[in-house]
Amino acid sequence: MKDVTQRFGGLIALSCFNIRIEENSLTGLIGPNGAGKTTVFNLASGFYHASEGSIIFDGYKYDSKLEPHEVTNLGMARTFQNIRLWSDMSVLDNICVSQYSRLGYGLLDAWFNTGRYGREEKRVKDKAAHILEVMELSDVAEEMPKNLPYGLQRRVELARALSTDPKLLLLDEPAAGLNSSDVDGLIKHIGWIYDQFKIAIWMIEHQMKVVMSLCQHITVMEFGQIIASGTPQEIQSNPDVIKAYLGDENV
Amino acid sequence: MLTIVQILLAILALLCFGYAIKRFVCQKKIDCLLFLILGVALICAEHFSWLDGYWLSVLKFMGINIVFASSLNLVNGYMGEFSCGHAGFMCVGAYVGGLISIILFTQNKLLGAPLLPPEMAPLLFPLIVLVAGCAAAIFGLLVALPSFKTRDDYLAIITIAANYIIIAVIINIDVVGGPRGLSGMRATVRAMENVANVPWMMIWVVLLVMVSVMMLFRLVNSTLGKGIPAVCQNEVAAEIMSVNTKKVKLVAFMVSAGIAGMAGAVYAHMFSSIYANSFGIMKSTEAMVMVYLGGMGSLSGSVMAAILFTLLIEVLRFALPALSDLMHTLPFVPDSFMISQEWKWVLIPLILILLMQFRPEGLLGNRELTQVFPRLKRLLTTARVE
Repeated sequence: MKDVTQRFGGLIALSCFNIRIEENSLTGLIGPNGAGKTTVFNLASGFYHASEGSIIFDGYKYDSKLEPHEVTNLGMARTFQNIRLWSDMSVLDNICVSQYSRLGYGLLDAWFNTGRYGREEKRVKDKAAHILEVMELSDVAEEMPKNLPYGLQRRVELARALSTDPKLLLLDEPAAGLNSSDVDGLIKHIGWIYDQFKIAIWMIEHQMKVVMSLCQHITVMEFGQIIASGTPQEIQSNPDVIKAYLGDENV
Repeated sequence: MLTIVQILLAILALLCFGYAIKRFVCQKKIDCLLFLILGVALICAEHFSWLDGYWLSVLKFMGINIVFASSLNLVNGYMGEFSCGHAGFMCVGAYVGGLISIILFTQNKLLGAPLLPPEMAPLLFPLIVLVAGCAAAIFGLLVALPSFKTRDDYLAIITIAANYIIIAVIINIDVVGGPRGLSGMRATVRAMENVANVPWMMIWVVLLVMVSVMMLFRLVNSTLGKGIPAVCQNEVAAEIMSVNTKKVKLVAFMVSAGIAGMAGAVYAHMFSSIYANSFGIMKSTEAMVMVYLGGMGSLSGSVMAAILFTLLIEVLRFALPALSDLMHTLPFVPDSFMISQEWKWVLIPLILILLMQFRPEGLLGNRELTQVFPRLKRLLTTARVE
């Protein structure tokens, strides 16, 4: 992302935002509420089109006609702050449908039950089964997400994002609403994903435990600007960050 | 003496059976064979007049209703949109199908001599139905394109508008008969009967039901088709999970309209003439009643509801006069008060009110018949689980 500015009417949500996410890295994005973290993600995943500046992902430059599903197709997946699963479809179907753009057959193949249709369906199902196994979700494959506990729903969402074959995975507050044992499980699973799939992960998170134990690099935002970036140790001792979170003493 | 057309038809019929038997032997699935046997029984029933003509036409009408309702279920059930103009697409299919068959196979004052020998009619009829379906699918764009930006109530209004537009356009084209309706499809059916004296319309209805229910079944059970409920349940998530939501909407609306159009084309040939006015909101409402009765997002529910609904209408045809007579035996009912046939339009909407109140998810909800009765599934697929 280079010099990205995003305005909503007269409000400047982001100003001259610069960041580079390296391949196969674990990056954190933190900051107080309203700092513009989710805006950054919405820009990256193509929901908003930047007012100024440019976003380049994997050599592809975003333009104003880009739609989110095309970004996903390029290899960027994300999860949401609030869970957005397809709650009336089984967990397995959730994982299968998110491979939609990689389906190698059309409507006619489905109608005539061609060989290609059978092969592709099998490939999709096998891959889904593999992801469910890695994420320890095989037991609930036939359940409806709405009947699952919150922590498990979060994990299903993570698995679903993975099934789109991402090169970069954006996680928007993956630990929101989880209890401490769920958080430990989440840290474990994100670590696994990182080790097994060799992808870049970029996360917004408020729980310092998650960020500090996982991320190699952390960026701190306030009022649409980056105020600090560095390794977890550097961030923890950075006076600007402490000021942003705890306030200025001389108010 | 057998003509070439007759031989070709015989070969096609054999191929159908061959497929069903192969499916039974190789995959141990009796569903296809079961439907075919049922179909043949129906065709025989007409050919050897086991049933009287009235019940035969009720059965045909039932078939059309099955296709009509289940195609609407794709949009109203799986897609979660509220389409109230489904009859419009059926109307397009009926007129396009009827018109093509008149132009191709019959002598008509307005449209001239037949372009093809009428003997070809039985072979080309499926093609006519297909073309009519495609035409209806193109009209489906009328709803599909606005659906990119609007949803729910607003889209429902657009669908009503689409229904009105289609009917008004057809009424104003004088070549297709305008308000007098389009007639002359009987001649095509007669041409088919000249080739082989079998109940052609029953055959086409049976085939239509089989083909279109299979098309819908395969669509909603494929990962491709599961994109449709995904868009319904959370459009933002669908978009971000690489589902091309515009394409999904386009496919859902066009397939739904196309299949309704195919039903329309067959419907047009069941009667001597068709009127655009009969494909109004009332007809669309009938389809909606069937979909909601059966359960949204349940294909077998729609099929079941269409059968029940058609039967209900026919039963009321007998029940209402009987009820009227019964009432007159009571002393305080004046003789002038009659329960006419129109009272069925009091009873049917009343069913809808009761349904929404006590079982809003419909008879089957979003489950299929095989999920409600697991034994049925075992019956249909006799294959053993390895």
